[in-house]
Amino acid sequence: MIKPKFDELIHAPTRLSIVSLLAATEWADFGFIRDSIGLSDSALSKQLTILDEAGYIEIRKGFVGKRPRTSARLNSVGRAAFEQHVRALQEIVAQAGASVLPR
Amino acid sequence: MGEELRPEEAARALVEIEQRHEQVIRLATIPTWFWWAIAGLIVGLSAAIESRRPLVLGIGIAVFVVGILATVGRIVAGSVLHAQPRNDLVRPAGVLAILGFVALVLAVTLPTGFALKAAGTRYPATLSALICGVLIVLGGPLLMRYLHRVMRANVTGGRR
Repeated sequence: MIKPKFDELIHAPTRLSIVSLLAATEWADFGFIRDSIGLSDSALSKQLTILDEAGYIEIRKGFVGKRPRTSARLNSVGRAAFEQHVRALQEIVAQAGASVLPR
Repeated sequence: MGEELRPEEAARALVEIEQRHEQVIRLATIPTWFWWAIAGLIVGLSAAIESRRPLVLGIGIAVFVVGILATVGRIVAGSVLHAQPRNDLVRPAGVLAILGFVALVLAVTLPTGFALKAAGTRYPATLSALICGVLIVLGGPLLMRYLHRVMRANVTGGRR
């Protein structure tokens, strides 16, 4: 049973998008996250650093051929925080009734 | 802040989560051309084997091996270079569906091949490979659709 817990750090719009993407992946490439969310390299780096410092993600740097490649993954702490955050959101919506769901 | 969040905002956040998950699930889509390519390669190899000509057989095997490596490699490279959907999203239901699909294809094509051979048909393997190809082209996209449903049901969040 997941306990609902609203997470301010995850809820910031850009970070919510990043964490949501990572929550469905094993690893996600930096370029994939950047292009999916529409961020600049520096903006994404900044958000990933915040999530890394919070202990929510793992960042892996490597090479594909000669090209440097950065990937990120949600670790178990980040996954648990995300699941609790989602549960908290669902609870807020449920308490208000399903009519608030945008279509 | 959680207590102060308006239900509309929470709902919007859940929609955003769902859309991001959908983006990842779409990455796992095996394109239609893949099923056509695999079907074509299987039919081509069978025809090459039944031609009984060493040169045709050699070319057929080479095309099959290169073709399989290229098509599968392209799909795998796409996931490695972008993002790999979580393995546990497919769950046993998805794995069973994949195994069931393979079993169905074999259960239809192998007996058909043997029956055609017993009936003295000229190219039994090629004909049963054609049936196999049709099953792959028709069943592959259906299998993908089912796997997407399983993945959507297993991913955390959204408006469930």
